[in-house]
Amino acid sequence: MTMTQSPSPPNSNDDKPQAVSAEVAQEANQAQQDVGAEAAKQSVPASVFVNSEPIREDQVSNAVKFLSHPKVRGSPVIYRRSFLERKGLTKEEIDEAFRRVPDPTSSSKPASLNQDGQAKSSSNVQTQAPIQTPQPVAVAPTGIASLEGRQFHWYHAVSAVGLLAASGCGTALLIKKVIIPKLKLWVRKVVLEEENDYAKKIDAKPSLAEEAAAAAKAAAAAASDVAKASQEMLNSKNEERRRFEEFMSLMDAQVQEMKSMSNSIRKLGGQASSSGRVFSDHDDHRVSASSTKQSYANGKVDVNVQLEGRSSTPPASAEPPHPKSYMEIMEMIQRGEKPSNIREVNDMPPNPNQPLSNPLIAPRTKPWDAQNGSDHQVLQSQTSAEGLNQNGQDDGLNYLLDDESSTPWWQRKNVRITEIENEDEVKDTGPYGVRTNEQPPPPIQRTWVPPRPPPVAMPEAAEAIRRPKSTPKETATQEQSADGQSAAHPSEVTDELQRITKMSESVGALEMNGGFSTGNSAVIQEQENSYGEN
Amino acid sequence: MPVFKTPFNGYSVRFSPFYESRLAVATAQNFGILGNGRVHVIDLAPTGPVINELIAFDTADGVYDVAWSESHDSVLVAAIADGSIKVYDTALPPQSNPVRSLKEHAREVHGLDYNPTRRDSFLSASWDDSVKLWTLDRPVSLRTFREHAYCVYSVAWNPKHADVFASASGDCTVRIWDVREPGSTMVIPGHEHEILSCDWNKYDECLIATASVDKSIKIWDVRNYRVPVSVLNGHGYAVKKVKFSPHRRNLLVSCSYDMTVCLWDFMVEDALVGRHDHHTEFAVGVDLSVLVDGLMASTGWDELVYVWQQGMDPRAS
Repeated sequence: MTMTQSPSPPNSNDDKPQAVSAEVAQEANQAQQDVGAEAAKQSVPASVFVNSEPIREDQVSNAVKFLSHPKVRGSPVIYRRSFLERKGLTKEEIDEAFRRVPDPTSSSKPASLNQDGQAKSSSNVQTQAPIQTPQPVAVAPTGIASLEGRQFHWYHAVSAVGLLAASGCGTALLIKKVIIPKLKLWVRKVVLEEENDYAKKIDAKPSLAEEAAAAAKAAAAAASDVAKASQEMLNSKNEERRRFEEFMSLMDAQVQEMKSMSNSIRKLGGQASSSGRVFSDHDDHRVSASSTKQSYANGKVDVNVQLEGRSSTPPASAEPPHPKSYMEIMEMIQRGEKPSNIREVNDMPPNPNQPLSNPLIAPRTKPWDAQNGSDHQVLQSQTSAEGLNQNGQDDGLNYLLDDESSTPWWQRKNVRITEIENEDEVKDTGPYGVRTNEQPPPPIQRTWVPPRPPPVAMPEAAEAIRRPKSTPKETATQEQSADGQSAAHPSEVTDELQRITKMSESVGALEMNGGFSTGNSAVIQEQENSYGEN
Repeated sequence: MPVFKTPFNGYSVRFSPFYESRLAVATAQNFGILGNGRVHVIDLAPTGPVINELIAFDTADGVYDVAWSESHDSVLVAAIADGSIKVYDTALPPQSNPVRSLKEHAREVHGLDYNPTRRDSFLSASWDDSVKLWTLDRPVSLRTFREHAYCVYSVAWNPKHADVFASASGDCTVRIWDVREPGSTMVIPGHEHEILSCDWNKYDECLIATASVDKSIKIWDVRNYRVPVSVLNGHGYAVKKVKFSPHRRNLLVSCSYDMTVCLWDFMVEDALVGRHDHHTEFAVGVDLSVLVDGLMASTGWDELVYVWQQGMDPRAS
């Protein structure tokens, strides 16, 4: 195959929009994508997620050869595209190949195609050469088709064989029925004659010989008849057997053809549906094909099977050992049984218009966004932008130190202080991990942070505790009951109590709203500040 | 290291982007072949290696994947095997859940990914060969991307470009898409067998990892996608999921049907830097925490969820 240089891509790209208008409807989609891609390319030249390779002529011509094959013509377009994509062609090359394949519907297409005469003539030559070769290939399948016929002939052959077999059996039966009566008659005759002879033996001796002779003759005639009949039967049986064998061999050939055709059809046709869902088991390429529920165990769209003559590649891995009960369940499904542990669950939304609850926390910046300093997507403050120097400094994998430090066990404990100082947002302090980004977070604390006080069960009691600023006596009694060993100043203690109860009340208020978040981040912030002060 | 036992076979585990100690687990009965499903929201107890369940949601069909919302800290979405996507809100009382059921896919929904940059939309990958784009406030999908020739197993947003995502399919290709474009912008015929998972490198937005039935993981640079940057071999069976570390540029983690979870450094000659074989069945889900460096979780068909710090043994107590 002579290689011709394809013209420069800009030419082809310019001609493409013109060719787009002449496209068949089935390729309108791809044409639109091309135009879209063109526009995208021109508008976003720096996008790295688009193919910028020029069209490779050798790939396109190979694709054209592939697409011109009659068997490929009969397959769905999506599988042809998928095959070409797997071979490494870009979208533009695939579209170009589709355009070049001579289509009976649009004869004006070769004229309107792009490029100068050189490429066109070369591509035409190339397309014609492969057209010649598929023709003998096309003849052979039609020959086979005429030989095997359609299913009509197949059934015909089967019925003919069946008829022959039935007729053979029928004749055998008939002949048996003929023989047995004949034999019986003959036996009876003989017996009767014997009896008669026995009776008349004395008086009809001279006629006995005649009678015996006559009987013998009859017997001989009968025997010859029987012999003839049996001979005929044998002959016919042999003939039938021969014919049967011939037909069986023919049928075998036809069955083989049918099997190969059905295999190819199945591969082209894709998935069949099953009653239970067969786990799309990419490892089960070799699941036995007997049941209809094999479905998409072998969903590879290997169009190349017929063309290149090689069988579909077996999976690279041997079948991984499925758990035993998995195989049991698969077998159950294939038998049509349903596993017994399934219940009826109604998982529909009770109120499809239910509004979502307000977020409690603002979204956090991602470590890669923060580290790279790009803040166009960051919604919150960029306090952590400069501080983080996450990667590279750690020597591989730095692990938990197994000491009794009270930070949550899943935290990574780094020995290096500098890193600790720098990492702020990502490494959290409190066990609840609730943070806001609304102000620079407090300095990292590695000590135990007291948990939130429990919600107040009785707000009246909280009120009562809070109120008696007036009577020191009451406060003294209160504080004795509340805090037995407190020896601090009563005012301080009451302040402390006030603060705690106030916070707990607010927490209680929040919780008593039925758990609905009110987005009261100010409260949270205040609590955190107070924690920080502590 | 704590373990959480699920009643059904595990399928996916995801850390919450808001709460360090929170995870969501997707499980399906009878290995996901036929049966109910359940979404668990679990919390790591701060005091000791204990995992507590915050809430669980039952579904009529198996749950194949789960994803946390990036905009609402209490919202998560679940991919159901009957083709629907359920939205749950843990801040609402349990009887109000699910808050949405988005039914558009014709076949099982196998993968979900929430946009980490725009935070408003998510993608679903389905066995009906299509990928759909959704937002939480709309009951119908915004876009449908239909180009794959076979089941789409996984979809992943690019961490830097808010409109670009990749999809991995059983037709052995990975496609790069831009939501502004009608069709895919790039097709990478990465493997000779089905590609089960893909993920972008968080620190180099042009690198993408693909995990395939052919037991290998390949790292591709989209600027030169004919030849992989690196091929990671070491798994004994198909690799089910791959995830790049949110904290380290070169680190990625993978789980496989050979029951192991492996850590790789793809820039190094001997790429396998860690291997955990704590599962006793297929390891099908793995995730790395975005909030805590080194914290990882995995789940498998052995109905267990392990959470451990990198470098520790997941089974250590």
